[in-house]
Amino acid sequence: MSSAAPRTVDEYRQGVRSRTFSSGEFLEETAGRIQQGDESIHAYLHLRLDAARAEAAHAEPALALAGAPVAVKDNIMMAGERCTCASRILADYVAPYSATAVEKLLSAGAIVPGKTNLDEFAMGSSTENSAFFPTRNPRDPSRVPGGSSGGSTAAVAAGFALAAIGSDTGGSVRQPAAFCGVVGFKPTYGLVSRYGLVAFASSLDCIGPVTRSVKDTAIMMNILAGHDARDATSIDRPPLDFEAALEPDLAGKRIGLIRELGGLSVQPDIEAALEDARRLAEQRGATVVEVSVPHILAALPAYYIIAPAECSANLGRYDGVRYGLRVEGRDMTETYSRTRNAGFGPEVKRRILIGTFVLSAGYYDAYYRKATEVRQLISDEMDAALAGVDALLTPTTPTTAFKLGAVTDPLEMYKADVFTIPANLAGLPAISIPAGTDSQGLPIGLQLMGARFGDAGLLSVANVLFEGLGGQA
Amino acid sequence: MATIIDRQTLEHVASLARLEIRPDQEAGLLTDLEHILTYVAQLGSVDTGMVVSRRPVMTALREDGPTPGLTREEGLGGAPAVRDGFVVVHNVMGGDDE
Amino acid sequence: MTTTIGLEIHVQLATQTKMFCGCSTAFGDEPNTHVCPVCLGLPGALPTLNAQAVVLATRLALALGCTVHEISEFSRKNYFYPDLPKSYQITQFDRPIATGGSLPVVTSAGRRDIRLTRAHIEEDAGKSMHAADITLGGETLVDFNRCGMPLIEIVTEPDMSSGDEAYEFLRGLRRLVRWLGVSSGDMEKGALRCDVNISVSDDPARRGTKVEIKNLNSFRSVKRAIDYEAQRQADCCARGIAIDTETRHFDEVQGTTSPMRSKEASNDYRYFPEPDLPLLRLDPEAVESQRREMPELPWQMQERLERDLGLSSYDAALLTEEREPAAFFEATLALYDNPKKVASYMGTEVARLLNERGASLGETRLTPAGLAGLLAMVENNTISNTASKEVLPLLLETGKAPEEAVRSLGLEQVSDTSALEALAREVIIENPAQVGQFKAGKEAVLGFLVGQLMKKSKGKANPQLAGEVLRKLLA
Repeated sequence: MSSAAPRTVDEYRQGVRSRTFSSGEFLEETAGRIQQGDESIHAYLHLRLDAARAEAAHAEPALALAGAPVAVKDNIMMAGERCTCASRILADYVAPYSATAVEKLLSAGAIVPGKTNLDEFAMGSSTENSAFFPTRNPRDPSRVPGGSSGGSTAAVAAGFALAAIGSDTGGSVRQPAAFCGVVGFKPTYGLVSRYGLVAFASSLDCIGPVTRSVKDTAIMMNILAGHDARDATSIDRPPLDFEAALEPDLAGKRIGLIRELGGLSVQPDIEAALEDARRLAEQRGATVVEVSVPHILAALPAYYIIAPAECSANLGRYDGVRYGLRVEGRDMTETYSRTRNAGFGPEVKRRILIGTFVLSAGYYDAYYRKATEVRQLISDEMDAALAGVDALLTPTTPTTAFKLGAVTDPLEMYKADVFTIPANLAGLPAISIPAGTDSQGLPIGLQLMGARFGDAGLLSVANVLFEGLGGQA
Repeated sequence: MATIIDRQTLEHVASLARLEIRPDQEAGLLTDLEHILTYVAQLGSVDTGMVVSRRPVMTALREDGPTPGLTREEGLGGAPAVRDGFVVVHNVMGGDDE
Repeated sequence: MTTTIGLEIHVQLATQTKMFCGCSTAFGDEPNTHVCPVCLGLPGALPTLNAQAVVLATRLALALGCTVHEISEFSRKNYFYPDLPKSYQITQFDRPIATGGSLPVVTSAGRRDIRLTRAHIEEDAGKSMHAADITLGGETLVDFNRCGMPLIEIVTEPDMSSGDEAYEFLRGLRRLVRWLGVSSGDMEKGALRCDVNISVSDDPARRGTKVEIKNLNSFRSVKRAIDYEAQRQADCCARGIAIDTETRHFDEVQGTTSPMRSKEASNDYRYFPEPDLPLLRLDPEAVESQRREMPELPWQMQERLERDLGLSSYDAALLTEEREPAAFFEATLALYDNPKKVASYMGTEVARLLNERGASLGETRLTPAGLAGLLAMVENNTISNTASKEVLPLLLETGKAPEEAVRSLGLEQVSDTSALEALAREVIIENPAQVGQFKAGKEAVLGFLVGQLMKKSKGKANPQLAGEVLRKLLA
């Protein structure tokens, strides 16, 4: 392969279609990189390279993905492959069906080299909660890649895949994308089917693409978006061409900065990057204004009531009866407890306990009901703010990637989601784009959020800034 | 100081969730949960009196026609204990519901 | 002593597929063969609501006079049990599809409207078979075929006060759901299940402690369980023994209730709105249309048959037990306008034949036109009533027109006076003793002589005419 090896899906398929190289060759090269490099990164939980090679040999260049290697987070079902959710309770579980998103990717010609690592059941911000091993940040292997989709973002950053899909419930695609220096997108809730995504928090979970460019995000969204009759929360809207919607500049666009986020403590390099982005936006024709989302800081506590509540119900099915780990006890109650104790890690248990608590008699009104009301309030305020601008600009994270083992206090870990969570609560599209590095060379990510169903417009704005800030990761 | 969650409540919640708390884990868990619950309890000070909770409405319901499912092997292939086509568990007569 | 009874009834909706997935609802197949990721609670599966389940539930709610709510919401009811794969049941808690309504119940004490609290739709759990049922040595076997079946749960107000009332309520509800095509209402197949809430108080101003009774397998069991429990609680009251709020299990064999072994003191279901299903909205026009298209309800028809057509309550009840005989009755009536005769004939001869064959009307070839024709032939003396009983089986089996059937059996009634006279003379000659008795004044003996003439004519003689002819000859 030449030195001008494709680094994006877009470049790759141009190459395959112009016969510069074959999908089989590219897959072989990717496999080589994985076999050499993943021992130290651990982006993948399990690989299927032999099957991938066979598929690559027959890949159809005319299809949208044309045989491109696309990694899949291991909480998304792929028929015939293990789906562990990085949990002991599903360590040997093999999926009997594929998620709609995976079916779409495969129909579009994607080839899946393997399933990527994650925080157990998508709960976490560092991928350190994986029951098997942590993933390391390819930019600095002593640091975390972020989470929960750390395996997917590390895979794309390290060249172990051209793109990946992950899941984003409180920032789990965007935050690790920022830490790894790639693009991570959370679409409007309901735009991409959740059928086959192992549920963590049903009203917040979104499948989203991880890529090296915003154009690739658009390519992936053209494949992933669409109504699915198997998901009752799936939106039925006329199809959009996300690629075609990409505009070259920001003429006439308005970008909002949220006043109430201004007081938060953010790493100085990240503040500086935000300033650069703001100036760039103005250069490209946008007007940058201040907007108000008065209760945005209540998003974090609301999320950490709602998400655990839904997760406590969603994880009830892991009981050792029909699949997964079973640890026998003397009776059924003991079998349940022993199975779940052995199968779940500490973060998962914490969240189940919090969730059970906030739903329980005597606490429901003060916690869960209150949180849903606050959620509606914030969502309404975000909608109002976005009525006057095309996108909101924030940092993706308060800091760049931290060292493995550095953050042990759960609450401290939760508070790092302060910028990403509001978009999940409100169901809005949000993207993290790479915006340079900090003084230690660690990637910085900036976030743009858009109006509900304004995904195409948001990607367009993001693309202009992405290109202006340096382009491909 | 009044705590939000005490040991008895924790045990009750754990029992509802079918999670046992080992004695050596209890203190640490209580501390973590207390911190988290104290943090989220700040929502109590947010005025939501004017908020109207809105949820979207289902657009289309599923037509009542059979669709392909899974064979017993596909659906229960990974089950820990199956006999004569049934899933086998401990006797639960007198348990929760129906 | 005041006995207060409320019922919670689960009715299986007669759809082709389950409530939240496209698996078949067919009964009795091999275990765990009607399954999919959704009803097995596999990771990543999501529920999708069955449109027909909503239609049937709405139909029933309208018939029961409920307020049908344009917007209703689904909820998760969380608990652990091996036959509940997701460890939550999707049901409706805060905002059910219907509230209010009532069902009329007739007992020896009279007619009452039993009020309903609410009706909501939900999914069924799987079926567990315990070691008590089959010798399994401490194991439970689980079949998920039933898991996800569509149910409507109806909760009554505590308006009933006896086992009889509860029994009649259930019979009435069963009749209604079958009438509307909403459910088979078959308790034996689990299509209708009932839990009882009962309290007894010696102070009419206060309600007693509520006790729940489960594991009731038939309407009779419901009555027996209530009768037993009411007595038990009354005894406790009389003796000053406190009654515990508990769930009791009914023992079919002993006819007694006993406390269920409870696993945990509190059952906190932690209900919250189901995030995987948006709100259910019923199109008001579609609901109105359903209301307009509602057929006459069984109790309405029953009352009308009694009031307007003068049928006995027995006949009216029998005819309105199922839609099929009711429709058959009306169609026959349209062709032969004698309600009492049609009702009576259907209730006796037709019912007997159906019973013998173990068949329903629709499974035979008898048509309303056939029955009407047969009855008309009896009325105009073409055949005798007795003869008609021979013709009927042929109509059931072949669907032939009654005239043709009568001809093929050679049963045309002999009404020809001269033919009758000839037979009558024979009878008079052959039965001198009875003739003598009649001439001596014993009127009743005429019946015997008529009977003899009927025999001679192989049942074809017109009995009334035969009597007249004999009387004339003996005068």
